Amino acid sequence: MKKFSILVTLLLTLISLTYLFPLYWTLITALKTGSEIFSRPPIFFPSQITLSNFYSNGNIFGAVSETAIGSVPWLVDSTLIAILATLVSTFLIAAPAAYSLVRYLRSVWLGRLILFMTMIPEAVFVVPFFLMVAKMSLLNTWWGLIVVYISFTAPFSTWLLMGFFNDVPKSVEEAAQIDGLSPYQIFYRVSLRLVTPGIIAAIILNFISCWNELLYALVITYSPFPAGAQTVPLFLTSFIIIEKEFAWGGLAAAGIFTMLPTLILGVYAQRYLVRGLTMGSVKG
Amino acid sequence: MSEVVIENLTKKFGKTVVLDHVDLKIDAKEYFVLLGPSGSGKTTLLRLIAGLEDVTDGAIYIGEKKVNDLLPKERNVAMVFQNYALYPHLNVFDNIALPLRVRGWSKEKIKQKVRDVSETLHIQNLLEKRPKQISGGEQQRAALARALVRDPTVFLLDEPLSNLDAKLRVEARAFLKKLQKELGITTIFVTHDQAEATTMATKIAVLNRGTVTQVDDPYALYMKPNDIFTAGFVGSPAMNIVQGAVKRADSELQFSNEDLKLTLGNLTKDAERGVSMGVRPEHLTLAKKGEGLDCIVSNVEPLGSITYVTVNIGKTSFIVQLSGKLDLEAGTPAKIEFDKNNILLFGDDGKRIDSTATN
Repeated sequence: MKKFSILVTLLLTLISLTYLFPLYWTLITALKTGSEIFSRPPIFFPSQITLSNFYSNGNIFGAVSETAIGSVPWLVDSTLIAILATLVSTFLIAAPAAYSLVRYLRSVWLGRLILFMTMIPEAVFVVPFFLMVAKMSLLNTWWGLIVVYISFTAPFSTWLLMGFFNDVPKSVEEAAQIDGLSPYQIFYRVSLRLVTPGIIAAIILNFISCWNELLYALVITYSPFPAGAQTVPLFLTSFIIIEKEFAWGGLAAAGIFTMLPTLILGVYAQRYLVRGLTMGSVKG
Repeated sequence: MSEVVIENLTKKFGKTVVLDHVDLKIDAKEYFVLLGPSGSGKTTLLRLIAGLEDVTDGAIYIGEKKVNDLLPKERNVAMVFQNYALYPHLNVFDNIALPLRVRGWSKEKIKQKVRDVSETLHIQNLLEKRPKQISGGEQQRAALARALVRDPTVFLLDEPLSNLDAKLRVEARAFLKKLQKELGITTIFVTHDQAEATTMATKIAVLNRGTVTQVDDPYALYMKPNDIFTAGFVGSPAMNIVQGAVKRADSELQFSNEDLKLTLGNLTKDAERGVSMGVRPEHLTLAKKGEGLDCIVSNVEPLGSITYVTVNIGKTSFIVQLSGKLDLEAGTPAKIEFDKNNILLFGDDGKRIDSTATN
């Protein structure tokens, strides 16, 4: 028994290391001096730590080109787009949809169909979405990206929340019915409050996927800066080739900086995420 | 305070008939119990009165008004659920206040009313707590408070005591009875526990498989059950019921099966239809010697003030209730005597034959 648990611990440690290594590598790259970044063989433990990749001589993230003068506009765009898309998709679409699917349509089949939708690769819809967004004259705007992100995040959140609404005791809703609440009030004042862990899980997952999304951001808002809307992943791409050179130090520093919100969210909301993804699974 | 009338009510779930042409009249201010085993349709009947289920056929009246098509909130009924169904995300105060808030009461009035109700139910010191932080008995009172806060005309209770432990249950029984008397609200209480029913009710309706078998006050139900189902269901331990036949021997009637022959005394001719006999444990006596039928003691259960003794006559067994301690042991022979005035006879349709009890 003890042997087994040692083995499991070892295996888990190995898996964790595999996941954590890229994060570690990004972090030390951001903290290395220019020569150590490019040294061969690679240096795993930098001999000297510097913050110059983050800030030096008035330059943020070692800006070597005028397109990388700072991340603030991107951060603003990213934050607003991610928050708006997340809130609309969770509260206005996923929660009401999940509730009515569970309580009124009672269709497990439809729930599975929605889950299936989330498994289709995003790239499949690039062209149709580009055309639709273009037709709505929303290219290079927040709204174009928001519309797309909503349609990508809503199905998964709906499926996730269906499990939670399923766990709301029916008698509580019936008590509310007898107490005089209208169906809308029952949803808003009772059931929605009881699925709070699920709502939080959905919000975090949606926010992270909107924050990290690159493909659609590239297609729908790719025009030279300053465009109407460009998110953080696009900002990071601007480091990759600057005059035929990879600005690794700046890229790593900017990467660390931009992943902070998702990291903090993830750590803070870990317990909700675990509960959300295990407890709220749809049975059957 | 209104009466509730149920006329020819039928409820089907798909093809399953849950309630079959039920007629009931529940007087105003009555403490009315729907008693039946699980699956008898008693909870469905309560939910129909509450408006949580749609009527398939028939009518429900609350007061003078037919309520078939009214929403639960339009019926002004209140209901306490088996698991209390408190709102877990609200504290006790907000739980009680919610029905008033959605009715647009002012903050001041709500505060006053909630305070009044929680004083009646002795939960005024729990108002800040969440349902999870209070005990089962307290949750039950909170649920009662939420139900009573809007002065309902009919009060519906769905097995509200079954989640309490034995001691609390006895307390809650007395408390509910007293509360109902004070408030004078027409109350319909669903339970499968016949002791709960007989201790609280002013009137009991017994349900079996979707039909009402008898409506009576507790004592009448116990002493004169209409049929063999009610006879067996009401009373604990259950009535001894034995299959057999009634025959006339000389001038007297005799109940017999392969194990026993029992003289019933003078009865009307109707009694000859009897195919089963019922006798309650307290109407049997047991002695080491003397008159009566031979039997063998098979089990002795002393409960302190009374003792239940199971005896066998051949393959037929009886439970006898005796007072005090007994010096009989399992396996010893004894004599059993029947109180002839309290023997009930049932026909082959399961109905009690009326001639027996009076003669």
